[in-house]
Amino acid sequence: MSTWSVARWLQLIQHWQLRKRCLHSSAMVSPWRFLSFLGFAAAALAKSSTGNSVLVVLDPGSSRDNFSRFFDGLEARGYELTFRTPKDAHPAVIEHDHPEYSHVILFAPESKTYSSDITPQSLVTLLSKNTNLLIAVSPKATPLTSLAAEFSLILPPPGTPLVSHFPERDTPATVIPVDVSPSNPVLSGSLPPVWFSGVPFAFNSNPHIVPILNAPPQSFAADSDADSGADAVVEAADKGGEGLWAGSSLGLVAGFQTLGGGRATWVGGVDLFSDEYAQKPTLDGNKPGNEQFAADVAAWTFQETGVLRVDGSTHHHVNETTPRDRYTINDRVTYTLRVSKYNPTSAEWEPYSGIDGMQLEFTMLDPHIRTALQPTPGVPGEYSLTFRVPDRHGVFKFNVDYKRKGWSYLQSTTVVPVVPPRHDEYPRFLSPAWPYYAGAISTSAAFLAFCALWLAGDSAEPKKSKSTKSD
Amino acid sequence: MWRDTSSALKALTSSHSLPATMSLALRFVFALLAVAAAHAASLSIASPRFTITAPDASQLRSQQLSLTEKPDALTLGQADVLKLTFQVVEQEEGKGVQPHQTFLRFHDEVTGEEGVQPVRVTPGGKAKFELNMARPPTSLPPTTTNPLKVSLILGSFTHSPAQYELFDLYVPASQSPPAHPDEAAFAPRPEITHTFRPEQRIPAKAVSAFFAAFVFWPWLVLVGFWFEISPRVPHLFSPHTLPFTVSLAAFEVLLFWYWVDLRLGQVLLYGGILAVPTAFAGKQALAKASERRLGRK
Repeated sequence: MSTWSVARWLQLIQHWQLRKRCLHSSAMVSPWRFLSFLGFAAAALAKSSTGNSVLVVLDPGSSRDNFSRFFDGLEARGYELTFRTPKDAHPAVIEHDHPEYSHVILFAPESKTYSSDITPQSLVTLLSKNTNLLIAVSPKATPLTSLAAEFSLILPPPGTPLVSHFPERDTPATVIPVDVSPSNPVLSGSLPPVWFSGVPFAFNSNPHIVPILNAPPQSFAADSDADSGADAVVEAADKGGEGLWAGSSLGLVAGFQTLGGGRATWVGGVDLFSDEYAQKPTLDGNKPGNEQFAADVAAWTFQETGVLRVDGSTHHHVNETTPRDRYTINDRVTYTLRVSKYNPTSAEWEPYSGIDGMQLEFTMLDPHIRTALQPTPGVPGEYSLTFRVPDRHGVFKFNVDYKRKGWSYLQSTTVVPVVPPRHDEYPRFLSPAWPYYAGAISTSAAFLAFCALWLAGDSAEPKKSKSTKSD
Repeated sequence: MWRDTSSALKALTSSHSLPATMSLALRFVFALLAVAAAHAASLSIASPRFTITAPDASQLRSQQLSLTEKPDALTLGQADVLKLTFQVVEQEEGKGVQPHQTFLRFHDEVTGEEGVQPVRVTPGGKAKFELNMARPPTSLPPTTTNPLKVSLILGSFTHSPAQYELFDLYVPASQSPPAHPDEAAFAPRPEITHTFRPEQRIPAKAVSAFFAAFVFWPWLVLVGFWFEISPRVPHLFSPHTLPFTVSLAAFEVLLFWYWVDLRLGQVLLYGGILAVPTAFAGKQALAKASERRLGRK
C-alpha cells in the first residue's frame, strides 16, 4: 500500500467514522482515535455482511492445494479459513448451540462418515442461525445426499454422473463445458463456459431455490461408459419415479435461501472449484469461467452480493410528519420504507433505490390495497406511497413482502388501527342542513323576543286582563 | 481420450492419403486438425417418417421428414397418436448403429419448459416412438398453446454427436403444474384497489337555501300582527328587566357558540357561571313584573 493510499484510507475511514458516529465536526481527532480507525480498517476487509470466519471441511484425499486458486482468492478478500477433515472432532462447527464460524464450506463429497458435530441436523441448525453453507456432492451416496432432498433437490441414483456427448471434444463425456446463463442475478455479468463434472439435480417446485448453473440441454445422468448402455438409459426413463435426469432443467449449482436469510449453495461436483478446471482451456482455447464463477458463487453464498435489508419504516398522515397511533377511515396516509444494500467493496450498507416491483399491502385479514411502492425521487434508499385508507375500520397492517431469486428477502409489517371518525370529526355545516339550522335559530330568536316582550310589555288592556282574572 | 485419437487415425486413413515420408509430428498435427474438421463417423438418421393417427385409426397425416427443412407444424388432437420412425446410421457408410443417447427433446421456447424422452433403438439402429395424447408420457412438459420444438439428440461414445430439429408440434394445452404456495411472493402480484362507498348525494344548495329561507315565514306573520297590535314595550330598557333579557340572550349566544366551536365541558362551565347572575336577574325581573302587574290591581 503506497503512502498515498494509506492516507486516502485514513481519510475515508475518518469520514466514515464521522458520519457513522455523528462526532462533532469541531472535535479534534487524537492519534489514538486514528489507531482505532486502523483497527476498523482491518475489520472492514471482511467483505461478507455476516462475518469472515470460514470453516473448510476437506476430504482426506484432497488437499488444499487442489483448490488453491479458490481458497487464496477467498483469503485475499479477507476471509479467515480454517481447515479440517470430516472426521476431525475439532474445531467443531457448532458448540453450545452457538455457530463457531460465519460460513462453512463442505468439500468432502467422498466421505461417508463425519464426526458427530456435522450431521444433516446440525447443518440445518447452522443455516437457521444465519451461517452460510457451500456444499459439494458427488455421485457417491453420502449423508449429504439425503440432506439435499430437504432443499428440494433430487439427486440421481448413486453412481450416475452427468454425461454429455455435446459438443464433440477430447475430454471424457463426464467432463463437460457448461455455458453460463448471462442473466443470472448471482453471477457477475456473462462468463465463458465453465468445466463441470459431477451429478445434476432435478428441482422440486420450491421458489426458495436459486438456480445458478443449469445443465446443457443435451446432457443426462447415466452410469454407462459405452454405447451398449443405451438400453439401460431407456429403461431408467421407463422405470417411472423421477424418470431420467436429462435436459437443461437440471441444476448443477443451485443456491437456496432460507426465510431467515441464511444461504446454502449446492454444487454437483467439487472439481468445479479446482485449480485443474480453472486452468483447463475451453474448446475454443480460452480461459474457462471457473475461477470467476467460483468466486461469484462464494460471494453470493457468503452474503456479499445480493444482500438487502430493511432499515426501517414509518407512516404518517399526509399533512404531518410524525406517525399517529391510529388512523381514521378515508385518511390520506404516507408510508415510507428505507432499504439498504450491502456493498462488499466498502463493507458498508448503502441506501439502495434500485428495487423495482416492490409492493405495499394494506391488510386486514386480506389485503384491501396492494400497490407499487416506488422509490422516492431524490432520496436514496427510500420508497414511499401515499394512499387513502379504506372506509373499513379494524386493525390493519402495512405489509411489505419482497422476494426475488438471488436477493435477500425483505419483509416488514407494521400494525396500525383504523377507526371510524370520532363524534366531532364528521363533516359539519352541510348545505342540506341549512333549513334545520334556520329553524333552530328562528326558534331561539322567537323565544328571546317572546321573553323580552313578556317582561317589557305593558298590557294594552289592563282592565280587561284584570276583569278576566277577577272573573 | 483414445476414441479421439482413433477417430483421428481413422480420419487420416480414410480421407487423407499422406505420404509415408511425412514426419510423425506433422502426422499428429494433421490428426488434430482432422478431429476438429472431420465427421468421419458422424451419426445421422435415415428414412425418418411420422404418422398422425386419429382415435378411430384413420390416418390424418403421414410424411417423410427432411433433416434440412422443417415440415409444417404438426397438430395433435386430444386422443391422436403420433408415430415417429427412423433409423440411426453412420453418416458415411449408412450402417445402422445403436448410439448411447437417442433422445427426443420437447422444448417450449416461450415458457422454457422442457421434456426429454429417450427412444429405444435396436442394435440395428431402428427406432420407433409413439406419442399417444390420450396417455401422454410424463416426459412431455406442461404445455400451453405455444408449439413445442421437437429435436432429436444423438450422442455416442464412439461417434460424433448430432442434433436435428425435426418439427414443431402443437398439442392440447395441459393443466399448469401446481405452484408452490410461496411462489406468488416471487413476482409482482396483481394490484388491489379498495372500492370506496359512494359519496352521499347532496341536494342543490339553491334548494337548501330556499327552504332555509322558507323556515322564516312565521316571522312575516309575526311582523304583520305586530303592526296590527302594535304592543308597547315601555319596560324593555328598565334596569330591572334588561339584565335578565341580556343574560337570556347570553345563554342563546353560548349555545350558538357551542354549536360552532365549544366542547360540552366548556359549555357546562360557562353556563354554570352564567346561571348565577341569570337566576338573580330573573328573580328580580319576575318579581318586578309581578309587582307591576299585581300593583295595578
